[in-house]
Amino acid sequence: MQFAVEAWDPDYGTGGDVDALDASTDVVDASVELEVGKWQPITPKTGPATGVIYFVDGVRRIDARIWVTDNGRVLPGSCATVAAGAVACTPTEAFVSEVQVQRAVFTPPAESASSIQTDVGEFVHVPINTGSPEDLYLGIHETMTDLETRTVPEAGPDDLIIFDGPLRGRSVARSVGLIKTQHVQYLEIEEQQVVSQLEAGDRSPMFTIGAGGFARWSWYLRLPGPRTHGWAGIVRCEMATGKAQPIDQLDAAAELADLVSASLPRFASEPHKENRAPQNLYPIKGLEHALRRRLGDQRLVQRALRRAAD
Amino acid sequence: MIGRVLGTDDATPLQFWVAVAEGGVLQLDDVVALDRVLPTGEQISIYGIVNQVRARHEGATFDSDVFLIADGVLPAEVAEAALVQVTRVMPEVFIPPLPGTPVRIAEDDERDKALDFDSVTRRLPAGLSRENEPIFLDLDFVDGTKGAHVNISGISGVATKTSYATFLLFSLFNSGVLGKEAANTKGLIFNVKGEDLLFLDSPNAHLDAEQASRYQHLNLDPAPFGSVGIVAPPRRGDSAATPAVGSRTTGVSPFFWTLDTFCRENLLPFLFADAEDERQQYTIVVQSVTAQLAAAVKNESSPDGAVRIEGTTIRTFGHLVDFIERKLIPDDPDDKPDQRWTGRAVSGSSINAFVRRLASSNRHVAHLIRADIDNAPDYALNLDRNQLTVVDIHQLHDRAKRFVVGVVLRQAFDAKEASGVAKPLQFIVLDELNKYAPRDSSSPIKEILLDVAERGRSLGIILIGAQQTASEVERRIVANSAIRVVGRLDTAEAGRDQYGFLPGVQRQRATILKPGSMYLSQPRLPIPLLIEFPFPAWATRSAEAQRPSSGPDDPFEGL
Repeated sequence: MQFAVEAWDPDYGTGGDVDALDASTDVVDASVELEVGKWQPITPKTGPATGVIYFVDGVRRIDARIWVTDNGRVLPGSCATVAAGAVACTPTEAFVSEVQVQRAVFTPPAESASSIQTDVGEFVHVPINTGSPEDLYLGIHETMTDLETRTVPEAGPDDLIIFDGPLRGRSVARSVGLIKTQHVQYLEIEEQQVVSQLEAGDRSPMFTIGAGGFARWSWYLRLPGPRTHGWAGIVRCEMATGKAQPIDQLDAAAELADLVSASLPRFASEPHKENRAPQNLYPIKGLEHALRRRLGDQRLVQRALRRAAD
Repeated sequence: MIGRVLGTDDATPLQFWVAVAEGGVLQLDDVVALDRVLPTGEQISIYGIVNQVRARHEGATFDSDVFLIADGVLPAEVAEAALVQVTRVMPEVFIPPLPGTPVRIAEDDERDKALDFDSVTRRLPAGLSRENEPIFLDLDFVDGTKGAHVNISGISGVATKTSYATFLLFSLFNSGVLGKEAANTKGLIFNVKGEDLLFLDSPNAHLDAEQASRYQHLNLDPAPFGSVGIVAPPRRGDSAATPAVGSRTTGVSPFFWTLDTFCRENLLPFLFADAEDERQQYTIVVQSVTAQLAAAVKNESSPDGAVRIEGTTIRTFGHLVDFIERKLIPDDPDDKPDQRWTGRAVSGSSINAFVRRLASSNRHVAHLIRADIDNAPDYALNLDRNQLTVVDIHQLHDRAKRFVVGVVLRQAFDAKEASGVAKPLQFIVLDELNKYAPRDSSSPIKEILLDVAERGRSLGIILIGAQQTASEVERRIVANSAIRVVGRLDTAEAGRDQYGFLPGVQRQRATILKPGSMYLSQPRLPIPLLIEFPFPAWATRSAEAQRPSSGPDDPFEGL
């Protein structure tokens, strides 16, 4: 048996990703750039972006589980803090350019449900469908995505915006979603082999996912790093179609895909410094670190909530 | 506001860290202030000095992250912080400053408060900070009111110890801090090395305008010393007793002691460095001979300085040595030596040891103890003739140096003791204390120095002592000095506990101090201050001595 040990920390290899929830029915067209059957690795024709590259990400933390008493019923709820921000990387420096923090209380629909005032700030009330873990997860995620959208910087003509994770409907000029974890297989076996043959810095031909207004351009990219197996160091990028990137302008899309593919390898992380190397890029690692710090101390938040509950 | 007290390190009443605000800079030795309001409404002001500064990347986990950060790959922030040591709390409520409290640079009046200068009524300018702000000593701790004596340590070659000592004297004499007494206050400096102290009365030709202006910051006039008397021992073998100096030819007077003084004032023990070492048998002989010599001249007056003992008139030291030798070792081996001279129950070998040492000293001190010149008593050292007396001993043999230092100190001490009043003060500058008051042995000079250190404060004798290594000097002498000054130290020396008054960082810095910079520790402040003192306004070698120019440089100009 031939096998390789995953470079990622096992803790990150599990857990649901929203990809898994909505990707199953997507229509995939793999012949937009190269004919199916004629797929081959593409080396980007441009150099890295000359402008600022922004990385946008968010973090979340469940601070406390709560029980809401509503008209004699007791309902499960959760208090969580999410933070989102952006890192701006120029050729000489990287700095956290924007950070927003939001605290929220998630409950199933209830008459008496309201925001909670505490010493560490307000937990804004966000209704979710049921108290189930899946609904809670979705609720927190939506809040975080909202917050991320609010922190998206204004990109200039030479700049790039990289979202950590799928686009989830976000559509900004010169922005790309970066998916580290491959939960869904969009390609047929033949194309998959082309992906596994990619050299570091090469990308696969583009394909489209979905149709109509939600269609996205997508491609695979191999980041530099130890190549323990065929899909080691592979990330998927996706780019919204629509006003920002019309579906019929393939050349422009390919140019942007080349630019992104040429720009990202610089930020690939190394295994001894990052549990999810090389896919979790250094700026994102730094941003997550900075954002987690901004969530505040969990014990302090819990204490504030307990005091508010009295 | 220059920064805020940070909360990731403990803030204590005696030291705390300050995060430096963006765009601000705090450097070592900066003086800062902050306020804290108590729940009672009382406001506490805390003052301190920056003792350490650090900068680090926040957000970096690995050392090599610095490359990622510098390449613009990993976001991180540079955090700069300064460690502040508290110098003063007003009023004295010892509480920590609260994290987040804004910190400001203390300037002008606030700086005076921080360094406790505002409560000092008699301020002695002691140097400058790097920003040319004056730094003062409390005269109460120099003149004996609350404390006395200054001790200076530092490796040689950096030429700061004596320079600083002379600067302190200059400041004492000329700053006006002594008031009317300044005119009568006397200084005595031993020139132990080179000839650098022989030109204190000449302006320094190398003093530039910038250095001269530093004197103004201290309210001093850059000028040489006003009233300077320079004395040097006579040339050896010169019957006219002209002073033995090299580069300075005028204005130097010779000095020596007459045989009469030598006998009358019991100066013999100063020829024996270890005379009071109990283990040495011959010390008994020293004491007996000293007593006999004193007894011999007790009732005789000697206008010419010569002594008459048992009918013999003695005019030279060599002659005296011969005389003593004959008393101790009879010509006839069968005769017993005179027990009055040898002391009781003294073995022959002890007598021989004494004679050997006495005879060998002849070569080194014969020109210093004599009565073979007309008006010999006039050559006695007079410390009152000038405000500052420089005693040049640099050409003397070690033994003669010890003799001169010991005798001069003794005479100054006796004179002060006899006068019974402390004022006007007598300052004594002595370098190489380790030679004269070594830690591990006893000698007449060390006893005198100890007397000065322990009783000088009440008698008005103030010792400004210096040495390369305080660890080799008698502990009590250093301990009795209220003011400690440290120049550049050897790394091993800096680690010794004699420098306990220097906190760790200052000790480290003491090993890299540049010439002209010193640490000044005074009882009023819990931490030593870094001071600089201006370039001497007086010449420190003949090349610097400004000769008054006569007429235009070019006599043919205009022709």
